[in-house]
Formats: sequence, structure tokens, C-alpha cells
Amino acid sequence: MSLIEITDLKRYYEMNSGVVKALDGVSLSIEEGEIIVLLGPSGSGKTTMLNCISALDSPTGGSYTFNDKEVPREHAEEMTSFRRENIGYVFQFFNLLHDLTVLENILLIQELSGKRDRKRALELLQLVGLEKEIDRFPAEISGGQQQRVAIARSLAKNPRLLLGDELTGNLDTKTSEMVMDVLVKASKKENITTIMVTHDESLINYATRVIRLDSGRIISDEQVNQ
Amino acid sequence: MYGLLTKRLARSLWKTKLRLSAVVLMVAVGVFAGISFGSYANGATNLYNEVYDGDEGINLPDIWVDNPSQVWDGNQSSNLCTQIQQNWPESDYQLQGCESRLVLDGIMFHINSDGQEKVIPAVWHGIDEGDIDRVWMPDDKEFSSGRTATQPDEIVIDGHAAIGMEIEVGDFVSIGAGTERANFTVVGIGYHSQHLYFAQEGVILPAEEGTFVTGYMTDLGLENLANMSTGSSNKILIDVKGVPNYDLLSTANINEGEKLNLLIEVISEIISSNDDAPSSVYDRSGVESVEFLRADAEGAIKMFPYVTGMLAVIAGITIFLSLQRLIQSQAKEIAVLRTLGVPKTAIMPAYILAATFIGVIGSIIGIILGVFVGAPGMLRLYQEIIGLPIDLGVDSTLISQIVIIAMLIVIIAGIRPAWQASRLQPLTVFRGNHEVKLASRNLQRLTSKLPTTIGLSIRSSLRRPMRLGITFFAVAISMLLFGSMLFMMASMEKVMIGGIEDNQSWDVQAYTPPDGEQPITDWVIERNGTYELMINFPLGIEGDNRELQSFGLDKFSTVEDDNAMIMVELLEGELPVKGSSSIQVMVDEGTSSFLDWDVGEKVTIEVGSNPLEVEISGITKGEVLRTMYFHRAELSQAVGINSTSVLIDLDGEIDSIEGLGEKTLGYSLKKDMVSSFETLLEKQQKMLTAIQFLGIIIAMAVLFNTLLINLAERDTELATIRVLGAPMKKLGAMMFWEHLVIGLLGGILGAIFAYFGTVLLVNSFVQWAFFFTVEPQISPIFTIISIVTIISIALTPIGIRRIKKMDLVEKVKEFSH
Repeated sequence: MSLIEITDLKRYYEMNSGVVKALDGVSLSIEEGEIIVLLGPSGSGKTTMLNCISALDSPTGGSYTFNDKEVPREHAEEMTSFRRENIGYVFQFFNLLHDLTVLENILLIQELSGKRDRKRALELLQLVGLEKEIDRFPAEISGGQQQRVAIARSLAKNPRLLLGDELTGNLDTKTSEMVMDVLVKASKKENITTIMVTHDESLINYATRVIRLDSGRIISDEQVNQ
Repeated sequence: MYGLLTKRLARSLWKTKLRLSAVVLMVAVGVFAGISFGSYANGATNLYNEVYDGDEGINLPDIWVDNPSQVWDGNQSSNLCTQIQQNWPESDYQLQGCESRLVLDGIMFHINSDGQEKVIPAVWHGIDEGDIDRVWMPDDKEFSSGRTATQPDEIVIDGHAAIGMEIEVGDFVSIGAGTERANFTVVGIGYHSQHLYFAQEGVILPAEEGTFVTGYMTDLGLENLANMSTGSSNKILIDVKGVPNYDLLSTANINEGEKLNLLIEVISEIISSNDDAPSSVYDRSGVESVEFLRADAEGAIKMFPYVTGMLAVIAGITIFLSLQRLIQSQAKEIAVLRTLGVPKTAIMPAYILAATFIGVIGSIIGIILGVFVGAPGMLRLYQEIIGLPIDLGVDSTLISQIVIIAMLIVIIAGIRPAWQASRLQPLTVFRGNHEVKLASRNLQRLTSKLPTTIGLSIRSSLRRPMRLGITFFAVAISMLLFGSMLFMMASMEKVMIGGIEDNQSWDVQAYTPPDGEQPITDWVIERNGTYELMINFPLGIEGDNRELQSFGLDKFSTVEDDNAMIMVELLEGELPVKGSSSIQVMVDEGTSSFLDWDVGEKVTIEVGSNPLEVEISGITKGEVLRTMYFHRAELSQAVGINSTSVLIDLDGEIDSIEGLGEKTLGYSLKKDMVSSFETLLEKQQKMLTAIQFLGIIIAMAVLFNTLLINLAERDTELATIRVLGAPMKKLGAMMFWEHLVIGLLGGILGAIFAYFGTVLLVNSFVQWAFFFTVEPQISPIFTIISIVTIISIALTPIGIRRIKKMDLVEKVKEFSH
């Protein structure tokens, strides 16, 4: 059974200039444990796809099931619950909370999900190689380290799906590699399905599957590095 | 370029309409309050000047000679004036005139609307309509009408009493003085300097309608009524050329009336060498009614710049914070402009212009509200309370002054943020470093053991301690406005109502004619009541021209012991012991404070011009007027009077005091005095409510502004945790606790500020004629804390709504692109 089943997914925006078809009938199936890279030019619909998968955005049409259940798209709180229970998210600009230490950034997400687990938080920080930085504030560590904290944070509530939007876009090549190594290692260890949106073709090296989008449609979908 | 930059800023400002409105409101409130309070101050000052110094005024005497214990006959009266004229010393002040007057306590028999006759305490003045201390008949027909009395059976009734009792020119009134009674024709409604503040002697509260009346008849009219010989008097009024300086009671350490004091000393000697009875000689500072009006005008003049200034400072703070936030949110735009080569000097003016614009709009709204609502409202209320005609116009100079002050503060508040905007470094902004502020390590340690959500709330709230600090400061100022009213009213109520209702157990105070206690005490015994004799006599102070009110009591008791008709709250020391080697007395806290008199100290007072040494055994609290308590027997020996009034306890409800009127010079009912204060409170209620409402509105606007800024600043972090799945319930709870803590902290600080501010405020306007202290009381403290907390918590739904309305898709785009 696939983790994600998407059929004829559409996301249209009504604009003054007319209807913009950000996603125009996308269908795909994602198995548990896959590491997927979503590639495409600007405006191809990558981020919209990610937003629909994470239930941040509501599709205009089509079906989307997660673990064989229809994903909510009407009620904000149900969509939030879905994200809380299933999704981990890593942003390009890390978005760590600057008033909290590295460890507290992870504990906060656990608390908001209703299960604070300091031991697990420490394990995750060890997993991303930041066990010595737990009491530092985000502003006191490097960009790469901040992104690794963000990865640990996204894993803190044991999500089944990890989403990354241009997660290495703000890092240099060497740091990007380090972050990606950590991400792949963590995803494999935790058996988490991962979808990354990027412009960076080099991330294909870390993927098991590459999907290319253009004008809201999938133009190629191939298994790699098997 | 400047035009485009300003247009851009205007559009950005418009996007924050809600916050912009709060800031404009603050300026408007400042200007509104300034105009309202300023007009009140001007109204009080103009009234004072018009009554005393205007051409149509009353020509207030410069020196009074008062003989409280007896009446001089015609020969004595004219002889005293002749003596004063002949012995007038070398002085800068030449004698202008000397007139004798007869002023007697009395009663009016007034038929109520239900047809029953009511006996009302009264004071009658026999005025020969000379040049000094004339009856004041202002032009305003609503307040005054008719003419002064010229025939022995004519009388002018004081406007304060006449309007309330519906007495009109042409009516007949039946009045009495001593045991005599006669009918008079009312020929005028007017006012007199001794009763401009319309209260019974020794009472600080204005009399309620129908509880006190004063009238001004010819000297012959009063002599006939009281069955006294022609030319009788008990007061001598002396007028000197020009306007002499006199000692202002509000300037305790300076004696402005030194030259006048020399004259007072000489006149005292003349009086004492011609008459054995103790007489008081004093200047304007010893006339409570006059001093009260002056003190009120002076207090209002002192107060209004503070009130306006405080409000303008709050407005300045909100503008400062709002512009800072605006610049923070526009940092990227400013950085782009700077990168494109826009000079610093082009960035700054637009922000100063924004502050100026806010100031102008706020001022216009404030002027409209102040001129058409605030000022007329306050002046009408003052007119209603004081019972005298007030000019309801608003002075354009005052408006200009207020607006200039407000605009200056507003522009100054805009300069710093504008300067900060012009100095933003593009590179720092593009790296996002301008928004990152390293969290406090100490705060992290302090909150590390708490749940992370609570820790985050605390740290986020304290992220900008300066902002929170000045917000608390602004809230505290607004609570000073709100709380000072609460604290003052609670203290006044305690002193005024509590002082009479709880600390005095008499029902009626009957004023006795000389040696005339017996018929009154017989009347009491017939009704199975109890009584105590009392002497109330003015005393001088050696080397000082201020006066004390002495009270001679037969029984002394503290409030706790509850064993006398007048009980005292003993602050320190002991009750006086009769027959001690020195005469023992108690003085009130105000007297002790103004004269530095302590327990155990021996001081010299003056009974008339005779010195008398007394020992202070204790200090009491709660008296508004300066007071000295004696054992009656000892005071009686000094002043030569057995009693001035009889305190009567009728044991139960007072159904009838029939027959008492004919035996007394007049009487007061305790229930009337209590009701007077309640009426006064009722009259002031609208104004108090308005001021309190103003305080609440300001606190709301200030808290609203800061909490909204806090929320706006946390958009990114709230959106992040929302994307990561934080439920609204948890975020709502987090925000609730955060606002609760901010509210509690702000409330506690507000209460502390309000209390100490009120103490300072009260200290600045208490004076010899009016003293009281403010004590910390649970009820106002609790009210202040509750209000600030409720305002703060009430903003939680706005925060929740803001998060709910957040477009997470857009936010995620911002996070990743």
C-alpha cells in the first residue's frame, strides 16, 4: 500500500488576469521510505505541490489520500492536526525560534504535539551531530548547523513524511552536502518518506526518485540511485 | 523623490489602520483632556479674579477683625474703627476704609413643597452697603436677580440657597436670629465673599440644597431681627489702598504678607487694649471660603499641564513604538532604497512627516471634542458644584498652547525612529541580522526549567525590555489618571463620610446663644436624649497669621473605645488629661505636619491676642481642617465662653426636632452632612467616570498598540510553529497566559504608580485650609490590577484571530524564497 496516493490533483488560483493553474491534474503514488526530489523551473508548481501534500493549501480538485485516508482540505484545524501527526517541514531560512536554545527548539515542537521527550530530542541532536550545541541560541551557530537543528526539529514528533522547500538554498555547497548527508541518514534511520523541492540538480544524488514539473504538470518521474 | 517616498510610507501606514487609529486616538485624548482641564483651570481662575479683583467685584477686605464670643454695641464699633484710623502705623499700605458688620447665626422657617415647615440653619449678614465686602450680584440672570436690601424688612438671599429652595425676588421669608422671628421681603438673589464656597462654618463640604441658607439685609434689619441696638457689630472689615500681598497658605515656607502682618499686629493690639473679649485679626488667608476658591483655581492651574503633559507623553510613546515597528517591517524596502542610492536625508523626513501627520489629525479630533464636549461639560459641572456663574467659553490661546505642546512631543517622538530608519545598513538588513536579537542568557537560565511554551512566552514578551518597559510606564501613567481618582475618592470618602458617620455619634449639633445652653439641654432631656457641650473657637498661632479651629470637648475617646460623641483617630501620643500642669491638647496630623509640632512639645497659641501655652499630648488623623482639641473646661477658661454648641444624641431615628429651632442660633443634622457629601459625589460622578474612562481608554490603546506590535513581530515564529502543526488551542493558551502575565505585571506597576503618584499629587495641593492623606486601600489596588489584566487578556482573541487569518501558504513562500 502506498503512503501517498494523488490522483488528478488540481490547484487553480482565480486572479484578476484570469485563472492560474498552479497544479493541473497531477497524479502520483509515493511509497514509504522514498526520498523524492521535486525539480522544475520557477512557477512550475513545485511549492504548490508541497503545500498541497502538507495540507497547508487546499487543492481545487482531484483526490489526495495519505495512508489510505483522504487528507482534510476544508477545515484549518483538521489540516493542522494532519500536519502535526504526519508531517515534518524544513524551510530554506531554517526558521528557528531565536529566543529558544537548540534543544528547546525541538522540545517546543514536542510540547505543542503533546509529548515532550527530552531523551528523544537529545538523540535527534546527536543524529544530526549537534549534541555539543544544545544550549546555544540559533544566532550563536552557523547556517548549516541551524539547518541541521531544523531537520532534528522536523523529526522530533516522528513524522511519516518529511518535506523540505529549498532546504539547501541558503547554504554553500560544502554545507549543503553535510546537511543532505544528515537528512538522508536521519530519514533512513527513522524510515521517513522525504520530499524535497529544489532547483539544485546535485540533490538528485541523495534521492531515490526524481519528479520534474512544468506548468503544473509532471513531465518526468524516474527512479534513481536504486 | 520625496513625494514618492512619502506616498509609499502613507500607503504602508494605511495598511496598519487599526494601530494607526490607536495612535491618533492617543494624541486626540491628550489634546481633548488638555483643553477640558485647561478650560476648567481658566474658568476657576477667571471666576476668582472677577469676584475679587474685577470692577464689578465685591472689594474684599484686606484685614478682618472677628469677635466670636460677643457683640460690640454701636459706640464700641465706631470707637474701634476710630482707634484703628488714628493709630494706623507707618506702612506702605494706607487705610482706605474701616466698616463694622454684624453677622449672626440664625434660622429660616421654610415651607417645603409638601406644605411642612422646616427649620434651616442660616447665617445673616447686616450690611450697610458701604464700600467693603459688598453683596456680589453677577450679570448672569440665571444666577442673580433683583437688588441689594435698602429697607429694614428687605433681604437678599444667597443664590446657592435660593435657587435650590426656589425662592424668588418678591417672596416673603420667615427668619429668626436668637429667639426673635420676623418676615422679610426678598429683593434680590446674590452672593457674598464668606459664602462663595457654600458650606456651613467648620464644614468642608458644600451644603446640600435646603440644608443651609445665608441672607444679606441692612444692618438695621438684622439689628431689629436680633433685637440689638443700632450699630451693633461683631466684625470689623478693613480695606487698605491697592492690593496688598498676603501670606498664601499653599507656600508654607514663604510669608508673602510680611507687611500686612505688621498691620495685623498693630490692629490686634488696638483691639485688645479696647476690649477684653478675645478677637481674631486675620487677612484673606484666614477666610476659608475665599481661600478655597483661590486654592481651587491654583490647584487647577497647577494640575492641567501635568495631565496634558502625561497624556502627550503617552501619545509620544505610542507613536515612537509604532514608528519603530513600521520601520522594522519596512527595513527591506529601506535597504533596497539605500542600495539604489537614496540618501539618508531622503529617508528621514517622511517618517517625521508621518509623526506630524498623526499629530495634526489627533489634534484636530482632540480640539473638536475638547471645545464642544470636554470643556463645556467640565465647566458646567464646576458651575453646578460651586453654584456660581462660570464663563463657558474656551480660550483660543489655551488651545494653541495645548496643540503646540502635543505637536512638539509628537514630533520629538518621531525623530528617533526616523533617525534609526535613515541609518539602517542594507547589508545587515539583507542578511536578516537586523531582526535577530541575541536572547538573554540569564533569562534563558531563569526559565529553562519551565515548559518550553511558557519559557518562549516569557522570553518573547521580554525580548524588547525597553519597549515593554515604556509600555508599562505609559500604562502606569494612564492608571495614575484612573487610579488617582479611585484613591482620592476612597480616602476622601473615608475622611468625609467616615469621619462624620463612624467617628461621631451625635444626631444634631445645636448652636447656642451666649449662656443659652440650658433651654437646649432641657429640650434634650425632655426627649430622653443625651448631650455633650462643645466649644468651637478660632485660635491664632504665635508668630504666624494662620488660624486653628479649637474644639473643647467634655469627653475624649478614640474610635476604638467608642465612648464619646466626637471620637478621634489617635495617630500617636495620648488623649489629653484634664488638670495637668500644662493644658494638654491634641492637634491633627496636618497641623503637626505644617508646624512641625510633635507629641510632648509645648507650643504657644493665641486666644484673640492673648498667648496661651499648651502641651501636645497626641496627634490625630482624619481632620481636613487644622484642629486643636481641648478639654472644654480648660478652653472655656481661656476664651470666656461656656459652649458654642450642644451635641445631641436623640437615641434612634430623628422624627422631630420641633421646638429646637426657637432655642438655638441654628442647628445641623448629621444626616444632612452625610447626604451633602453623597450629593457632591453624585454630582462629581459624571466627571470622575469620564476621567476614569479616559484612563481605561488610554491603557487599552497603549496595551493594544504594544501587544499588537509584539504579535506582528512574532508573525514568523507563530507561522512556523503553525506550519509545524501547533494547534490553535495551544497557541491560544500560550497567548492567554502571556497576556495574563503582562496584564498582571502592568496592573501591579500601574497600582504602585497610581498610589505613589496620587500621594505626590495630594502632597502638591494639600495646604493649611485643606489637608488629607492617601492610604493604600485594597479596593482601588484590586480594581487597577483587574482592569489592566482584563484589557490585556481581552486582546487575546485579536491575537488568535490574527493567527487564524494568517496565510500560511504565503508565509511558507516567504520562508523559502
